[in-house]
Amino acid sequence: MAYGDDATQLVIESKRSQHADSLLKYNDHLVRAVIREQRDLEKLIQAALARLAPAAPGDDVAVTADVVLYQTVILRNKRCLLAYHAHRLDRLKDLYWSVGGALPLLLSAPTTAVSANAAGDLRSRLSPHEVDFLRAYNDSLIDFRSGVIDTEELDLFAQISKPPKDLHVLVRVVRDCGVIQTEVGAIDFRRGQRFLVRRADVEHLIVQGYLDEVS
Amino acid sequence: MDEDPPELNRRPAPRANATVDVIPQAVVEETPFQQLIRHWMNERHAPDILRTQEGLLGRMLDHIKKQTDDVQLLRADPDSSEDEHFRIMLVQTEIERVKFVIRSYIRTRLHKIEKYARYISTTPEIHERLTQAELDHARRYSHLVETHFNNSVLQSLPEEQQSLNDQVPFLPPMIPVPDKTRAVFAHALDACPPVRLPDGSTMEMDKDQISLTPYHVVEQLLAQGAVELV
Repeated sequence: MAYGDDATQLVIESKRSQHADSLLKYNDHLVRAVIREQRDLEKLIQAALARLAPAAPGDDVAVTADVVLYQTVILRNKRCLLAYHAHRLDRLKDLYWSVGGALPLLLSAPTTAVSANAAGDLRSRLSPHEVDFLRAYNDSLIDFRSGVIDTEELDLFAQISKPPKDLHVLVRVVRDCGVIQTEVGAIDFRRGQRFLVRRADVEHLIVQGYLDEVS
Repeated sequence: MDEDPPELNRRPAPRANATVDVIPQAVVEETPFQQLIRHWMNERHAPDILRTQEGLLGRMLDHIKKQTDDVQLLRADPDSSEDEHFRIMLVQTEIERVKFVIRSYIRTRLHKIEKYARYISTTPEIHERLTQAELDHARRYSHLVETHFNNSVLQSLPEEQQSLNDQVPFLPPMIPVPDKTRAVFAHALDACPPVRLPDGSTMEMDKDQISLTPYHVVEQLLAQGAVELV
């Protein structure tokens, strides 16, 4: 197999996950393969450098060409590795925001599948480091939120794709979510029921997939 | 967005409980909400992160809080008429819409901050454009990403390959920076002093003129508030 093939495969995976709007399982196997290739290349490059005549390093054209070739592959592989990981972080952040920053929901067991985003069983598709990242990211955002808008009024995690047109919204309960305090008092949301409620009171439940908007 | 209820159009009093509105109506002055909309649009269109509007945001949030309290009071009042209830509903809707803009504004900045986190945390000139909370988040985030790269990839590589700032000719830099050459539509709010274009010539914009230019050409004018991005 030619140098760089595995790295290309990684980038293709990123592209595929972008187009399919999904997050594929973390490809530990391939990542390790590229890292192994990097180590082998480093050995080759060191060996080639050792072969260079110490007196006049520029003279040996064949060896210099070897070094340039190895170096190019090393740089490219490294970029591909980082791009693969960076792309996954971006996708993870998208998922995180799409459920309104509900981290437990995102990382919970597969039984509580999130409706539209199909984040179900996300955890098994992540590397341990990615789970750590997500937790730390969540912490950082919570700090950020308390620093900027220390008020109950504004929910930073609510959706920003559509400006609100109505105060109230008709919702259908997809999953039981217990008793919620609303403007008109506490409501016990049970599966299958419909309610006309104030949007601001239940926005987070819609985002997290407990309630479905009836239009 | 064009039919604000009168309450939101009124300038928020600079001091608490100061109810006198002394700004003469003849002077066409931007309401705080219009200002917010302008800054929000600028932020959404500009490739770089702009100066924070922390003060304006704070005033808007205070105002929202006050209005929400007032609305609660009025709703609870059994004597308020049908007409008043209708108006309350308008105010509530408008509050939700203002909140939407504020949220979108903050999130837009957050997006840029995360995208350019490493550039921002290493470039002191930008720091003054951010609030403390934003700067902290930028630092934390860039640290987070570096830690993640280190744990997942770099620490397994040979020592010579562990840098996160390779500068190689013909390869894009490893720290993404805002693309200031991106084209933007600038709308002149006033007659603008001449600005230098990339080809060396100068351009002067009349009031209400709209131009399509690279961002860096109007960057200064935007900071002065002479143009807005549309």
